[in-house]
Amino acid sequence: MDAASEYRSLGEPDRSSHLWRYTPWRRVHPTGKIDEIPLFDGPSLKLMSIESEGTPEGVRLVKGASIPSGLPKNDELTSNFLIAASTESQYTLEVDSGFSSENPVILEIDVGENPSVLHLGIEVESRVNIEIVTRIVGASDWFGFMRSGLIGNGSIVNDIVINLANRGTVLRSDLISVGRDAHLRAGTISSGSEKTKADLRFRMGERGGNLRVLGSVMSAEKMHLDHHIEIQHDAPETFSRLSWHSACGGESRTIGTGMLRVAEGSRGADAAQIFHNLLLSPNAEADSIPELEVMENEVVGCGHGTANGPIDEDQLFYLESRGYDSSEAKRALIAAFLNSTLSEMGSETMHNWLVGMLTEELEGLYQKT
Amino acid sequence: MAGSNALLEIKGLHAGIDGNQILKGIDLEIGPGEIHAIMGRNGSGKTTTANVIMGHPEFEVEKGEVILDGEDLLEMEAWERARAGVFLSFQYPQAVPGLQVGNFLRKSVSSIRGEEAAKGSIFREDLSKAMESLDVPRSFLARYVNDGFSGGEKKRFEILQLMLLKPKLAVLDETDSGLDIDGIRTVSEGINAAIRDSDSGALIITHYSRILEHINPDKVHVLMDGIIVSSGGPELATKLEEQGYEWLQQE
Repeated sequence: MDAASEYRSLGEPDRSSHLWRYTPWRRVHPTGKIDEIPLFDGPSLKLMSIESEGTPEGVRLVKGASIPSGLPKNDELTSNFLIAASTESQYTLEVDSGFSSENPVILEIDVGENPSVLHLGIEVESRVNIEIVTRIVGASDWFGFMRSGLIGNGSIVNDIVINLANRGTVLRSDLISVGRDAHLRAGTISSGSEKTKADLRFRMGERGGNLRVLGSVMSAEKMHLDHHIEIQHDAPETFSRLSWHSACGGESRTIGTGMLRVAEGSRGADAAQIFHNLLLSPNAEADSIPELEVMENEVVGCGHGTANGPIDEDQLFYLESRGYDSSEAKRALIAAFLNSTLSEMGSETMHNWLVGMLTEELEGLYQKT
Repeated sequence: MAGSNALLEIKGLHAGIDGNQILKGIDLEIGPGEIHAIMGRNGSGKTTTANVIMGHPEFEVEKGEVILDGEDLLEMEAWERARAGVFLSFQYPQAVPGLQVGNFLRKSVSSIRGEEAAKGSIFREDLSKAMESLDVPRSFLARYVNDGFSGGEKKRFEILQLMLLKPKLAVLDETDSGLDIDGIRTVSEGINAAIRDSDSGALIITHYSRILEHINPDKVHVLMDGIIVSSGGPELATKLEEQGYEWLQQE
């Protein structure tokens, strides 16, 4: 059965399931008529470097995308829908074996003003050292974005996705597999779109995989940002940390759900997930549900936690006692809260670039909280 | 000293928290260039005095006056007091993960001393000098404010801020607690450098006379149950260290 037929055979998902509890499928489907699979155009793509024009040799964007074996278990509904909808818009980001650069690569995705969809394959071969930023900009009503791929053995990759879409809905699905002894830092920065439904899944199927999933999310007005993160340990001596920070103001709502699975045989696995929510207004809402499924007894540790609260009054007083006025102190604490995950996402070069890019964005959002 | 020449004047200060009166009529005057110390048992109102001077919103002032250089501090928000020249070195400084020390210091200096003082070479020179005198390494600047700092590092960082912010009045709340002998000496030198031979003043809150041996305060006050019950020279601190507070209670 092809992806479209698979999708249509599934029907509307049950809202009692972990994934669809807070954001029903109908709300993020591009037309709301769930039998429809509209064929949208692809967004415009531009691959460049932070510090220089052009793309370094060994990194390229090619047409077409595939679903390799060994990926995490997907959500069939989202994956099949996005695969079916993106048949005319598939690309793969290829990074050659042994590629190494301290100069981060940027993939800019301009979704323009019309609905669009993209399936981006990621093929990072072995012993690669790279930082990749994927930046989503534009003002369309709907953008569907699927990423699927492999991080090759021994590679060190910082992979950051920034959603700066001005409006509309973003539906995102990631299926990423981490190779033997590979290190992946997967960052998500989200301060755009009115509605986001993201389902981010990672699998460590080889010994020695090391994964950090980091989120810096800020919402305002009536934004609704729902991120689901699944991490699957399927091999011994694998390590993962999930750290997700959401700051929500206005009447917005952020949702963070986590699922950590440690399969039998994953001896020496070390995994933890934590969600922190900063509530900036009495009408804002933040929900976090971390869940664990640990089937192996001999693990180093598996933990989860969540913390919600408003801005800390003692921190506020501390900054005010150093001359920050009330508004500056609040801004600084929000920025610090988001920065504590942002700063973990990449190198110092990358961090400085991100802070420079996001300062104005955060200021705009702060005005709306 | 005539009251009108005082840097800080506290008159009949009554204050408390959550409806509990803690300060029951504090009177205190500190002149320019003077360092005063307040000693007292736990719960006598020392930290409340510090917080009320800085303007902590949880503390309520029932009556009294707190005047700094002719300005009524009680009419101001905490940040306005900081910009008017009040500095509080906290007993337990707050950690702010995500806020880098370097950025925090530059912003604080800019807010309190003006943008000129926070500019490139001027700021860097001030900062290097202060860090060197306190034995604070450069790597400190890339860390987050008080995040993961040891007790001693937190106290040195408070004094580093004192030296950079150059306040009119420094209130140091148990800055010596948690410091070893070398730490107390280094921090005391920082305090002396910031206050002595200047028009600034300081109020040191402490349990122990050791820091006062390095600082040699102009006056020592003893706070009991929200009132200053005795004032004297540095010898009062030595007597308290030797004999405790019992004799004062009997008097």
